[in-house]
Parts: sequence; C-alpha cells; structure tokens
Amino acid sequence: MQKDLETKFLSDFEQNQNIAHKICRIYTTNKSAHSDLFQEITIQLWKNYPKFRGDSKFSTWMYRVALNTAISLYRKSTKTIKTQDIGEIAYKIKATDYDNTEEVQLKALYKAIHKLNDIDKALIFLYLEDKPYKEISETLGISSVNARVKMNRAKDKLKNILKP
Amino acid sequence: MDLLDNYKKAWDNQPEDANKVSSLEIYKIAQSKSSSIVKWIFIIGIAEFISLNSLYFLIDMDEALKTYEKLGLINFMFYSGILAYVILFYFLAKFYQNYKRISATSTTKILMNNIIKTRKTVRNYVIFNVGYIVLVIIVVSMALIRMESGTLNTKQLLITGFLISIAIVFILGLYWLFYQLLYGILLRKLKRNHKELAKLDSLN
Repeated sequence: MQKDLETKFLSDFEQNQNIAHKICRIYTTNKSAHSDLFQEITIQLWKNYPKFRGDSKFSTWMYRVALNTAISLYRKSTKTIKTQDIGEIAYKIKATDYDNTEEVQLKALYKAIHKLNDIDKALIFLYLEDKPYKEISETLGISSVNARVKMNRAKDKLKNILKP
Repeated sequence: MDLLDNYKKAWDNQPEDANKVSSLEIYKIAQSKSSSIVKWIFIIGIAEFISLNSLYFLIDMDEALKTYEKLGLINFMFYSGILAYVILFYFLAKFYQNYKRISATSTTKILMNNIIKTRKTVRNYVIFNVGYIVLVIIVVSMALIRMESGTLNTKQLLITGFLISIAIVFILGLYWLFYQLLYGILLRKLKRNHKELAKLDSLN
C-alpha cells in the first residue's frame, strides 16, 4: 500500500473503530475473542482498502467488511451462554431491581443480542445503528422486502428475550 | 416498539469502547497474519491437490509399467492418465478462480456463496480422483483375474472380487470420515449462517 493511502486508512479506521468494537462485542463474549475478531476485521479492511473507491462513505464500507468478517470469515464460533463474563452475570442480578440505568440497559441489551443467531445479530446491529433498509439489504445481499420481514422477526425475538 | 426504543437510547449513548487502539497499533495489527476460514480452505485445498497427485510417486513406475504391459493395459493407463491431468488442471484453475473471487467487500450472501463454491471445487476434484482410482483398481483387478482365470476356480474368483470390493469400500469410508471431520469443523458456522440467510429467499 502506498504511504499516503496507508495514512488515510489509519486515520479513517481510527475514527471509525468503534463500529468494529461494537461488532466484536456482539459476536464475541470474552476479551481474547474480542481482540481476535478485531484483528481479523483490521486485516480484512487493510487488505481490501486499495479497492475501496470512495463511492460510499468509509463507514458504510466498513460495516460491510466488518460484518462479513464476523459472519463468514472468522472461524471460531462462540457458544455464548457458557463463556460469558462474570461481569455480565453480575449485571443480570442487578438488572432485576428496576432501577434501570442506561449502563445496565446496555449490558442487558448485549446479553440479549448474544442469544440471537449470527444473521439476526447483524440485522439488529444495523437497526440499532439506524441503517436504512436499502443499506441493510445491500450489505447482506438480500431483497429489501426480505430484510424487512427478517428484521421484524429478529426484533420480536430480541423483545422476547428482553421482556422482564 | 417501546421496549426496544428504550434500549436503543442506551445503545446510542454507549461510551467509546475500552479496547480503543491508536493508529500505530492498528498498523501493527494490520500486519499480522489472517486466520480466516478462506485461508484454511485454500491451504487445505492445495494440500489435497498435492497429496492426491503425489500418491503416484509412491509407486515404482518401471515396475508398474511392466505390469500394465503384461496385462495389456498400457494404452488405457496412458490415455486415462493424460485425461486425468487435463482434468486436474481444469479443477486447479477453477479453484484458483473461485478463491480469487472471495472478497470481504461482497455482500454477505455472495461472499458465503463464493466460499462454498471454492470448497466444492476441491470436493468435486476429490470425488473425481477417488472415482478414477477406483476405476483403475477395478480395471487392473479384472485384467489380473482374466489372466489368472486358468489357474483360479470360480470360488477363488468370487473371493478375490469380494476382497477387492471390501478394500475399496473401506478406503472410501475412511476418506469420507476424514473429510466430514475436517470440513465439518471448518465450515460448521458458515453452513449454519448460509442456511439462515437462504431461508429468507424461500420466504418469497
């Protein structure tokens, strides 16, 4: 990669790295798996950056590459229930007293998302990130209609898990 | 919708991740080696092409040629061998072409399809190669039996045929098991996700 391209990539990625971290947090449940997936996402972004033409925003492109890495390229699949952090179990207890701060809600939300399958995770993530259906369908390669149907089901599943 | 809206607010306000890295660290991470399943599929695929074709080096070719000549199979072995190589190169080219097509920038669906297609190329080659080996075993055995038919009675012929079939089935079974295990572990997650995404198509 050329020097200025490298610099551009590093600054683009540094600014948008939270996208990758959020995806890692959704698809993994412990720290070492998180950094493992983060590494693979970084490698894939780096490898494909020379082909990034800039006809879409860097972040849009990054959503696609990072999700693809988590869903299809990253090999390890984490069985979430057994390997969750002790921190999360502690939150489970806390979440039962109804004083729901945003932090508690966020933990509960991640915990609920962990129970979804990989495709539903992607759909819910894109919903939470306010992505329009057009972009969701283009990222996953399915029709808008299908994306909508599947999204509603994923949301229902998530709501069922979150129900107190 | 209310329930999710509440959680969504928490999502929108979530703080930056504690694992945040500097651009220097990003640079370092980007230089490390990928461990994606695509890499493994490529390595294992190449290993399969090589191992299946190096079987021939284990055989003493001079000795084998003499035997084929005695059996009157020299032409069959020569032409079928050439054909097998043409087909090998066809599969190799196809494998490489499919491998090149795999890109993290495709849509999720296309990416999964391309990964599976690449793997299937190797699988089809293995099926072809095993089929070819079985064919050679059968042809050689039949020629041997025909040559020895004067000295063997029907019972001995039947037993020989039976033993050869058992051996073929055993080898195939062993290979199939190994194959299922190897790709089963490697592709379990991908297959599950592919099925999940494919389910969407059947909705319409």
